[in-house]
Amino acid sequence: MKPSELKRLIIGSLDENADPQLAARKLEEEGVSFDFSKGFIDKVIDRVASGADTVSREIEFSRSMRIVFNRIALTGVAAIVLLLISIFMGEGSFSLNSFLGLGDTYDEGIICLLTGN
Amino acid sequence: MKVSYRQAEESELVRASIEGDKLAFGEIVERYSKMVARTVKGMLGDSVFAEDIGQEVFIKLYYSLADFRGEAKLSTYIQKIAINLTLNEIKRRKRFFSTFSQKGNNEMYEYEVPDYESEEKRDASELVNKALMRLDPKFRIIVAMRMLQGYSTKETAEILDLPLGTVLSRLSRAQEQLKVILKKL
Repeated sequence: MKPSELKRLIIGSLDENADPQLAARKLEEEGVSFDFSKGFIDKVIDRVASGADTVSREIEFSRSMRIVFNRIALTGVAAIVLLLISIFMGEGSFSLNSFLGLGDTYDEGIICLLTGN
Repeated sequence: MKVSYRQAEESELVRASIEGDKLAFGEIVERYSKMVARTVKGMLGDSVFAEDIGQEVFIKLYYSLADFRGEAKLSTYIQKIAINLTLNEIKRRKRFFSTFSQKGNNEMYEYEVPDYESEEKRDASELVNKALMRLDPKFRIIVAMRMLQGYSTKETAEILDLPLGTVLSRLSRAQEQLKVILKKL
């Protein structure tokens, strides 16, 4: 096919009423075809296989992290509960001062403590 | 025992691939590699980068097969992945070239013209490649879908998630742009 005919075919293939499959087939017959190089499938499968190992390691890692997090979180919650109980038993309330350890102190007492007088 | 999937149905291939059967997935790659090549190489040119993006398409497909609900055809699903990855690559290159290079839009693609049976076929392929690479990417995708894949306007609209009117107007503008480009080639 001459270049001018090929150009006409390309332009004509985009006509709204043209049969796109026919134009695509004609272009393919003229050598306009695209494909990947030989061994493409093997390369994809190799990458998938090696990637699958990485993914399973990542899954394993995130699973271990979740277990560690759960243990830390449970221990943390237990510690917070114990702290609250001890504050309540020591101070008798859950006020801000109790949390700050200032339940039994007066303002003057703090000034004395800070100034050393 | 190795099972041949030559005659297998698409749903069977998908199910077996999800279960980790590489042979079944290999069959999917074999069935759709040419379709992906037409999209990726039609958009990026015949280069090694296009081969890499082609591989990425199938790797992404492998890891997203579990999400494939079978509502659309597998070919449409793969085509969407191919288009997204290719458009991302075009954006990435555009950013790279605008930052680090003085090269123009049309020069950021590489050609590696493969072996052809005849000089004529080689020239035809080169002509189409060059013309496509000079097209605006938003028109190029429409042209690649129609001219290389043979999709109808309606199918193109569905795959690209665009209204039919937009596809038609882009097709007409692409045609005008191609006329100008082809005159110079």
